[in-house]
Amino acid sequence: MIRRHSRSAICMHWFNAVCWIFLLFSGLALLAGEMQPVGSWWQGLWQGIFGERGLLVAHIAVGTVWVAVYALYLLVFGRREAFPFLKEVTTFHPASDMLWCMKKGMWLVLGPKRTKKLGVDPALPPQGFYNAGQRMVAVLAVLASLCLAVTGVVMAFFSGSADPHVSEAVLQWSIWIHFCAAAVMAVFLPVHIYMAALAPGEAPALRSMFTGFVPESHAEHHNPLWYEALKKTGKQSS
Amino acid sequence: MARYVMAIDSARCMNCKACVIACQQRNEVPYDISRNWVRETPDPASPCGTSFQPGACMHCDDPSCVRACPTHATWKARNGAVEIDRGRCIGCGSCIDACPYHARFRHPVTGTADKCDYCHGSTPGMTPACVSVCPVHCRVFGDADDPSSEVTMVLAGHKPVHLVPQGSGAKPTLTYLDATVPDTLPAGPVRSMPIDTMRPMAKGLTWVGGLVLAALTGTFVRQLLWPSEKEDQELADEELVRAKKAAEDRGEHRTEEGGRQA
Repeated sequence: MIRRHSRSAICMHWFNAVCWIFLLFSGLALLAGEMQPVGSWWQGLWQGIFGERGLLVAHIAVGTVWVAVYALYLLVFGRREAFPFLKEVTTFHPASDMLWCMKKGMWLVLGPKRTKKLGVDPALPPQGFYNAGQRMVAVLAVLASLCLAVTGVVMAFFSGSADPHVSEAVLQWSIWIHFCAAAVMAVFLPVHIYMAALAPGEAPALRSMFTGFVPESHAEHHNPLWYEALKKTGKQSS
Repeated sequence: MARYVMAIDSARCMNCKACVIACQQRNEVPYDISRNWVRETPDPASPCGTSFQPGACMHCDDPSCVRACPTHATWKARNGAVEIDRGRCIGCGSCIDACPYHARFRHPVTGTADKCDYCHGSTPGMTPACVSVCPVHCRVFGDADDPSSEVTMVLAGHKPVHLVPQGSGAKPTLTYLDATVPDTLPAGPVRSMPIDTMRPMAKGLTWVGGLVLAALTGTFVRQLLWPSEKEDQELADEELVRAKKAAEDRGEHRTEEGGRQA
């Protein structure tokens, strides 16, 4: 078995997951009228549970805890975990990454036999610690998180005051950016959940999100470049 | 449930502005801004050369300010009033931009949207300050669904005139009696960018999100019924058989050649 995730990264992943899902669901329920993308039943459901003002209070409370815990995590583990993670997810190989996304999609939707019949070799380009899809969604998630945290803090703690710096334009753009960032993640979060937890062959990766370890054969098959690098440094077994 | 409305006989107004001051005092609005107003229009037909038109939030049906609010901090209540919950208002000002009557403003102390609420917030159950203070009784307020209320009787005895800014499509519930000057308002900018773009974007999110969920469900079912991993295995097996056969063919070929040479 190979260590893939540290304990702190596992804790942050699940803390993030719970916060994201609650914030996304409650945030969607806070939107009014024609700006409500799910439907009025969604708004009724959540406001029925928390109350009209209570839902906003809960959204702000969970959002504040999320921002505070993340800030603390970055402070403590920034150099050891967050920066290497950012370096890893921002290393793109456009041609090979596009090919991986296309072939992975074809493998899932058409299956390898039909893919082959179309004249496309179903073999995926080799991937490193994260595959192309994971890297793309990770970059989007980091950018969206930054946007959501900054605009959320502005709306929660600087609105409702007569401070001339927090003008109407600042608040309008805050809610607009908050909405756009959440909308992007609302689309990609289900994709991440499917690809990581439900897609075939991902069970060892899902288990590693609890245990921290993946079998060598899984790493060799799914992340061959990472496996090769580990082999070179002699760190593949633990 | 009562349906509150206001009727105004603007011909009676003498521009004393008692309604404006009473409203500011009761609702703690600073003196340089106001929830209500008296519009002055030069009018040769008027005895003093100017027509006075008292006004305030028109408490419209299907209000554009409510449509503009992204947080549901303002809504058309069942009692006919357009209300604001300051706890949910972030002060973005979209509703202020969207109101064609310019009846809303950002309160300089609370930082949130503010406007006439028939004095429900400051003195619930009481007659609005502007109505009770008017010395010539030009404002009448009450339940339009109560046939014995003064406002119902006044409305029944006069021609209703609704002041609608051009091109706004507003449906005001504030009614002027018989005539008022001006009888229309010029079209003004009622757009609130960037909030206005959130409506089509929300529709886009509904569609894109729905399609993504449908595609993922479809893929999930497809993988459940016809797993790609099984196909991978079959392809690998076929490859193995082909390789074996090729090796055997090569072996036979070599044996034949060997036989010929011998």
